[in-house]
Amino acid sequence: MSLIEFAQLLNDSELGTALRESVYAFPIVEGLHLIGLSLSVGLILFVDLRLLGWFLVDVSVEDVMRPLRPWLLGGFAVTIVTGILLFVAAAAKIMLLPVFIFKLLFIVLAGINAWWFEYRWGRRVDEWGDQSGLPQGVRIAGFTSLALWSLVVIAGRLIPYLSYE
Amino acid sequence: MSTLEAFKTIETSGFGRAVGGLDHLFCAGIELAHIVGMILVLSSIVLVSLRLLGVGLRNQSLTRLYRATSGFIWIGLGLLVVSGLLIFIPAATSYYPNDFFWNKFILLGLALLTHLTIYRKISQTDTPNAVAAKLTAVLSLTLWFGVAFAGRFIGFF
Repeated sequence: MSLIEFAQLLNDSELGTALRESVYAFPIVEGLHLIGLSLSVGLILFVDLRLLGWFLVDVSVEDVMRPLRPWLLGGFAVTIVTGILLFVAAAAKIMLLPVFIFKLLFIVLAGINAWWFEYRWGRRVDEWGDQSGLPQGVRIAGFTSLALWSLVVIAGRLIPYLSYE
Repeated sequence: MSTLEAFKTIETSGFGRAVGGLDHLFCAGIELAHIVGMILVLSSIVLVSLRLLGVGLRNQSLTRLYRATSGFIWIGLGLLVVSGLLIFIPAATSYYPNDFFWNKFILLGLALLTHLTIYRKISQTDTPNAVAAKLTAVLSLTLWFGVAFAGRFIGFF
C-alpha cells in the first residue's frame, strides 16, 4: 500500500469523516491542540530560556526543570494525540505536503535534541545546574530547542494555508 | 453611525484595502505573530496559575514568577493586538454577524479585567490565601483559554 493510499484510507475512515463533518469536533480538537501547545511549547520556552541564562537565573536548573516536567509531558501528550486526530481528518490533503513533512522532521529533530540533552547533561544536572555560567553544550541545546519548536509551530500554521484542495 | 457602518468604513478604507490585498504568505505571517503572542500570554498565565494552584514551580516566589512573566505577557498582548487588527480590518464586516467574534471580545475584556485586578493583587504576596489563589488561577485560565477557543471558532463559523 502506498503512502497516499494509506492517507486516503485514514481520510475516509469513520473517525476521519466524523471529525471533518462534525460542526464542533474539528474546532474543539484544534482548540485542545492549542492548549497542549501552550503547556508543552509554552513551558519549554521557559525551560529553554533558563538554559540560556535569560529567565530565573538564580534558580538552579534542576529546580526549574523537575517540577515542570510532568506538565510538559502532559502537554506533549495532549498535543500529540490531538495532532494525530487532526492528521486523520485531513490525511489525504496533507500527507505529501512538503510543509507537513518538514513539520514532522522538525519534531523528530527536536526530540533528538531533547534526548541528547537528557543523556549528556540532564542526568547530571546537579553537577552544573546552579553555576552562574552554564556549559556551552547546555546553552546550545536550549537554543536549538527554541529554534526547532518555533519551526514546528511555523510549519504547523502553514499547513492549512498550503494544503491542496 | 452604527457599528456595522463603522465596520464597513474600516474595511473599505485605503488601509483596509491595502492590507486586504496583501500576499497570502504575508497573511500567514500575521497569523503567526498572533500565535506567537498567544503562546507568550498563555504560557505565562499557565506558569503563574500552576504556582497559584500550588503545583508546578511551587517552591519559587509567586511575586518573582509574576514579575518575571509580566514582560512576556505585555509583549504577547502587543503582538496579539497589532496582528489582530491586521486580521480584522480588511474583513471587518464579515465578523459582524459572527457570534464567536463578539463572545471573544467579551471574554477578552473579562480576562484583562481579572488580570489587572484580582490576578495582580493576589500575586503581590508569596503566601496568598490558598482558596483565593486557586480561584484566581481557575478564573484566569478559563478566561484566557476561553478567548483562544472563541478566537479559533471564529474561523469556522
